[in-house]
Amino acid sequence: MMRDVIAAPRPGLDFRRHYGHHQSPAIRAGGLIFCSGMLPIDPDTGERRHGTLTEEAHCIFGNLKLLLESAGSSLDRLVQVHALIYDSIEYDVLNRVYRQYVANGPPARTVWTAQSEAGFKIQLDVVAAA
Amino acid sequence: MTETLARSVIEPQNPRLNASRNANLPHVPGIRIGDYIFLSGMVPVDPETGERFHGPIGEQVRMTLGNMRHMLESAGTSLARVVRIHVVLADIADMAEMDRVYREFFPVDPPARTAWSMQLRFGNGCEIECLALAG
Repeated sequence: MMRDVIAAPRPGLDFRRHYGHHQSPAIRAGGLIFCSGMLPIDPDTGERRHGTLTEEAHCIFGNLKLLLESAGSSLDRLVQVHALIYDSIEYDVLNRVYRQYVANGPPARTVWTAQSEAGFKIQLDVVAAA
Repeated sequence: MTETLARSVIEPQNPRLNASRNANLPHVPGIRIGDYIFLSGMVPVDPETGERFHGPIGEQVRMTLGNMRHMLESAGTSLARVVRIHVVLADIADMAEMDRVYREFFPVDPPARTAWSMQLRFGNGCEIECLALAG
């Protein structure tokens, strides 16, 4: 089975270059695409875009759309999402923004309360179909 | 089309690293399903003694990834075939030190990675799980 690196679709989304994260943006293997942890980073400049959980989630889904579409997939082909949020009190806030992006049939999802780097309020760990 | 994927258990050649069997836990070190290999979360265990290792975080990461290499090689594959990895730390402040050691193990085309921190059991400083392709 082939293992292919998916390159960053925009310069800002190369987290390895901007932040030294030793990772590929995504790996395609056997009809599935595995994305590195998606963070609210400006896709053009690579700067962190801290904000409310809602604002950060909008940024992340924008980046995820760019990444998946550059790999020939899309948000409609999400398979599994782990949503890591900083505080479970924001669970309903997450759902309100999340449902805007998965209107055509949401994927399997697990939400965890965990700390992400740099104090981000949300990070998404995503598997999609190629 | 209905296709049934072959399913088998992955075990380390070094029995001291078979944490689930040694502690009689209800999981296995890994499962191969088709050409995908899913490993259980691995924590720093000394491959010589089978004891937990709670030294500096960099050494914990090095030991855990060394054991992961052994696990994958026992299954006929390698770290170079890892597709996706989850690195869980007890302390988010250890991210930079984790990353410093981590890159020793993935010199080219590193896997997709998500890293975060949450409470870990037994005082472990890290727990790492991966999805790899068969060799």
